[in-house]
Amino acid sequence: MSEVIIEVKNLSKSFGSLEVLHNISTTFQRGEVVSIIGPSGGGKSTFLRCLNLLETPTSGSIFFEGTNLCGKGVDINLHRQKIGMVFQQFNLFNNMNVMKNLTAGPVKIRKMSEAEAQERALALLEKVGLADRSDAFPYQLSGGQKQRIAIVRSFLMEPDVMLFDEPTSALDPEMIGEVLGVMKNLAETGMTMIVVTHEMRFAREVSSRTIFLDQGIIAEDKPSRELFDHPENERLISFLKKVL
Amino acid sequence: MEFIQTIGLLLQRYSSFFADGVRNTLVIAAFSVLLGTLFGVFMAIARMSKIKPRKIIATVYIEFIRGTPLMVQLMFIFYGLPMVGITFPDIAWIPNFSRFAAGIVAMSMNSCAYVAEIIRSGIQAVDKGQMEAARSIGFTYGESMKMVVLPQAVKNILPAFGNEFVTVIKESSIVSVIGIGDLMFRTNDVIAVTYRSLPALAIAALIYFAMTFVSSRLIAAAERKMHHE
Ligand SMILES: Nc1ncnc2c1ncn2[C@@H]1O[C@H](COP(=O)(O)OP(=O)(O)OP(=O)(O)O)[C@@H](O)[C@H]1O
Ligand SMILES: [Mg+2]
Repeated sequence: MSEVIIEVKNLSKSFGSLEVLHNISTTFQRGEVVSIIGPSGGGKSTFLRCLNLLETPTSGSIFFEGTNLCGKGVDINLHRQKIGMVFQQFNLFNNMNVMKNLTAGPVKIRKMSEAEAQERALALLEKVGLADRSDAFPYQLSGGQKQRIAIVRSFLMEPDVMLFDEPTSALDPEMIGEVLGVMKNLAETGMTMIVVTHEMRFAREVSSRTIFLDQGIIAEDKPSRELFDHPENERLISFLKKVL
Repeated sequence: MEFIQTIGLLLQRYSSFFADGVRNTLVIAAFSVLLGTLFGVFMAIARMSKIKPRKIIATVYIEFIRGTPLMVQLMFIFYGLPMVGITFPDIAWIPNFSRFAAGIVAMSMNSCAYVAEIIRSGIQAVDKGQMEAARSIGFTYGESMKMVVLPQAVKNILPAFGNEFVTVIKESSIVSVIGIGDLMFRTNDVIAVTYRSLPALAIAALIYFAMTFVSSRLIAAAERKMHHE
């Protein structure tokens, strides 16, 4: 029944002489929600950014729906349309209002009509409770609002998988809930999600599987409940003690 | 009191000198900014290029130009180039064309380096996340630049760019040393005829100030308009 959507094979990444990822291999199934946890500097962001080639792997390969993204002659822009990404700092386009942020991709890349793109955008804004903010510019929005819109922007491209890099880490505590709520709903629709997070509740309760990425390797990789209830790795145990 | 009277007198009697100087100064400055900007854009692109040789050549050019006096660059082009057989032609219906050409070439080559640096730092001041977000949606590098980064960079670039224009107007006074009849040159003419150096220089200063003041106001107005969009 399960179908591999991303396969990571022997992925290594160095910045100069600093090797951040050491020979990582793993697979992600369609419909899976996977959390990636681990100490700061362990390589979580770098790993995630390698999946859509925002960072170029030093060696190894990333297969996305069967295509090796690192292969010669691959049009990465084409594949990125199918790999959504949500950033810690939201990264809404500062020179565009909310509606333009949402419709730029569908209209310019997917060649959707302006009217249809706006209609879809509005429907989703409604769902995340921001229908009245479509004319606002990013600087007029709170962090939580920006992040909900960034998620909608990514979702409107109809991606096959969505990557999240600490989507709630830059938010005031009272806004974390609203963003996690949207992500939970998204997970329930069956979207494939890979989420780097410090929200252990989310990892444990929403994601089906959790990866502990530490010092550039996957130190533990298990169904979430099991990982949190019966951690085995020494460093995972002390990490969980610190964050829980 | 007498000083002011002398200024009035000089302005009356030698207004055609000053007017001719202003015209030449504006011609030099306008051409230099125009060409400097045009080549500055290409130089900035080369400077940010991923292709190593391009990047190196552009970097060396920019650093060298910014690290040497305009006066030396001007002399180099006006006296040095003819020695190696490169001369600017004379054109019959434009008086002094070869001098003007040398002056404009030197000034534009100089301005090009500064403009390139202004553009580069303006682009690099835009948060890197903006480009990454656009790329992650599937836009190409060029599309992301055009749609997201450049519109934001322009707001950083414009003020510095205005300064550069004002600088070029002032610095252009240096071309008088190769015999171009700009405002500084014509002022010296007036001094040579009248021996009234201070009043003549005061007039020149006022005219330079008027030119830079008007252009910086115009640029500020353009900036305000951009911010409202
Ligand atoms: N562009 C870069 N150039 C050089 N070093 C980098 C770069 N990006 C990341 N690093 C280094 O790689 C290591 C891993 O960084 P990474 O951002 O992947 O960690 P992380 O697990 O996401 O940490 P955090 O929880 O703090 O976000 C760090 O030591 C970091 O300094
Ligand atoms: Mg990180």
